[in-house]
Amino acid sequence: MRRGRSLENSVLAAPVVLFLLLLLGFPTVLDIIYGFSDVTFETLRNPSFNGLDNFRTVIADDDFWHASWFSLKFGVLTALAECAIGLFLAVYLAPLIRQHPWLLAFLIAPMIVSPAMMGLMYRLVLHEFVGPLPHYLYTWMGDSPAFLSRENVFLTVFTIETLQWTPFALLLLYMAYEAIPLHVREAAAVDGVRPLKRFWYVELPQMLPTLGIAFFIRFIDGFRVFDNIFVLTGSGPGGSTMSLSIYIYEAFFKSGSIGKALAASILLFVTSFLILLLAGRLIRGRAE
Amino acid sequence: MKNRSLLRFGMAGLVLMAGAQSAWADVTVLGWPGGPEESALRAATDIYNAQESVTEQNKVDLIFFSRDGFFDKLQADLAAGTDAFDVNLLATYSIGRYAAYMDPISLSGEAESVFGDTVLSTMQFDGKQYGVPTDLSLHFMYYRTDLLQALMNDEAAKARYAEISEEYLGKAMEPKNPDDWTWEDFAANALYFTKAVNSESPTRYGTVLQMKNLLFNMMVFHSLPRAYGADWMDESGNITVDSEAYRTALQLFKVLLDAGATPKDSLSYEYAEANAAYASGQVAAMVQWNAAAAELTDAEKSPTVAAVTSTIAPPTGPEGRFTHIHGLGLGLNRNAPNREGAQMFLEWLSTRDAALAYAKAGGAPGLTAETAAAIADERADLVQLGDYASSYGFVMNGATAEKALSVYELQAKEFTGYWAGSQSLDEALAATKAGMAELLK
Repeated sequence: MRRGRSLENSVLAAPVVLFLLLLLGFPTVLDIIYGFSDVTFETLRNPSFNGLDNFRTVIADDDFWHASWFSLKFGVLTALAECAIGLFLAVYLAPLIRQHPWLLAFLIAPMIVSPAMMGLMYRLVLHEFVGPLPHYLYTWMGDSPAFLSRENVFLTVFTIETLQWTPFALLLLYMAYEAIPLHVREAAAVDGVRPLKRFWYVELPQMLPTLGIAFFIRFIDGFRVFDNIFVLTGSGPGGSTMSLSIYIYEAFFKSGSIGKALAASILLFVTSFLILLLAGRLIRGRAE
Repeated sequence: MKNRSLLRFGMAGLVLMAGAQSAWADVTVLGWPGGPEESALRAATDIYNAQESVTEQNKVDLIFFSRDGFFDKLQADLAAGTDAFDVNLLATYSIGRYAAYMDPISLSGEAESVFGDTVLSTMQFDGKQYGVPTDLSLHFMYYRTDLLQALMNDEAAKARYAEISEEYLGKAMEPKNPDDWTWEDFAANALYFTKAVNSESPTRYGTVLQMKNLLFNMMVFHSLPRAYGADWMDESGNITVDSEAYRTALQLFKVLLDAGATPKDSLSYEYAEANAAYASGQVAAMVQWNAAAAELTDAEKSPTVAAVTSTIAPPTGPEGRFTHIHGLGLGLNRNAPNREGAQMFLEWLSTRDAALAYAKAGGAPGLTAETAAAIADERADLVQLGDYASSYGFVMNGATAEKALSVYELQAKEFTGYWAGSQSLDEALAATKAGMAELLK
């Protein structure tokens, strides 16, 4: 009976496994081959093995390190800001959302917009001659800053990303906040704990796992940022807004350096895998 | 009974498929989507397909990708050896990139008299003709006639103009008719009409420069260094980007950006942003693609400036007046399933009748003066386009090479880095020279 069920499970799972192998496995194997090859668009079918040359080129490329630093900084800062603001809103607006649950749908609306559209929208919103923001700044204050200048562009893309994805942190953290059992809060209140201390010593510790997950997801998303920045500024003056994803895209399509692009993507994959492994061990260690 | 029904359905399906097959055209053409190029190609194709001499199996069908990432998608398709189309779009700056997957073509006997040598050369690579030029792009200088008229008639304004030019450009200059402008006059005019420099200026900015890190912006920029004699390579193939001509041009843009003569966010500006700035009425003059003329001189689309905007070729320099030109065209896929039919269509497209039909339907082919005269009443802009292309058009030495697009990308990155202040002029030119040597070797 058990054997029959096992066979049935295998048969039912086979199409999905096959599909995943084809869809993910084949490109991955091809990426690894190309990452160790001298290959161009003309030699896609007969790449020549060149060992670690592509990896050496990538590691010696200043742009790769600038792009990595940009992605890391962007990922960490946006994740921190989104989680901090999301946490504040989740707690501060909880009574209001409890009374009017539809508010939550309204608050998470920015997440529905695709990042590329968001970039396009801000290209208009921030344009000095057609955008509403510079228009009102000129009208009320007589001047408007250069939102996309080299000095301000990081702050601008950071703000855009934070505005769009804070609702994600808000959603997760509000759910976590609401999941705290009522009797825990009531017990703290009966013991005379003030709201701020109650939050810090009772509620926040219970929300920490969710906060960690929200930070982690937002960091991954911020680290691999591409669409909105690419639409808004491209790789920026002198490559000032070149994220690692943009670096890989430009190396592949714009420069035709396929091996170099894939070597960079393999390095990115290995680094991400190691970070995930480390994070997993840390979480398991804490749980034990 | 059930089997018989299935058989009937099967037969009907086969008949339908066969019918559809015969209705499908056997020459598939991948065109440039959206805009006047698509309308013009559709109109020309209809005329071609209606000809009695064109057999059913040689009729043309059109397909289009989206414009976003068009050339990247085309690159991937061609590299994969696609036979989904017989004829595909190509552009001057990407011929070298695609030549490996395309075959040279032969044009009609009329082609030279219809397009002229300069325009035909925009579709050549390694001395071979890879495409029929369909649309030509070059630069106009757009300027406000009302502002210049007022400046020329005001002695006090002229004195202020001289003071400003002396302060920023090192010599006292006087306003001139735009026909006679050098690039220094362009800069002096831009500074005079800038609020940050001249509080009396009627406009906020004297010009709008497209300085985003984008390859197309480099094409707009190149008309300036070329006027000072710049080229990518000399006859022997040595990279000549670290030249006085490039230095002068790059510095001039930097002076204008630092002085506030172009909008603060110019480092993120491209075609659309520059048009919006000019159309707002807050810019006195700019160098922009010829395609913008339709928008900026249309009273409905640009009510503030349409009536007072005039166009002329970009300013001149010590080595003459120049405008970057590049063409869009159609060429032959090496894996074309119907090579003969495709070649026939391309040959027809290079005839006088086809070029005129394409132009009448909204396209912008670069035509010789004699050919353009035939439709001067309907498309006066094409007379100017053809004239500028043959008189001032240039293609940098190496700008059709396999990695030409990458060279533009490299220059965009390094030059914008200099303008933004993240590196010095020497560093930018040294990095560009080293990168170009690698790309064009």
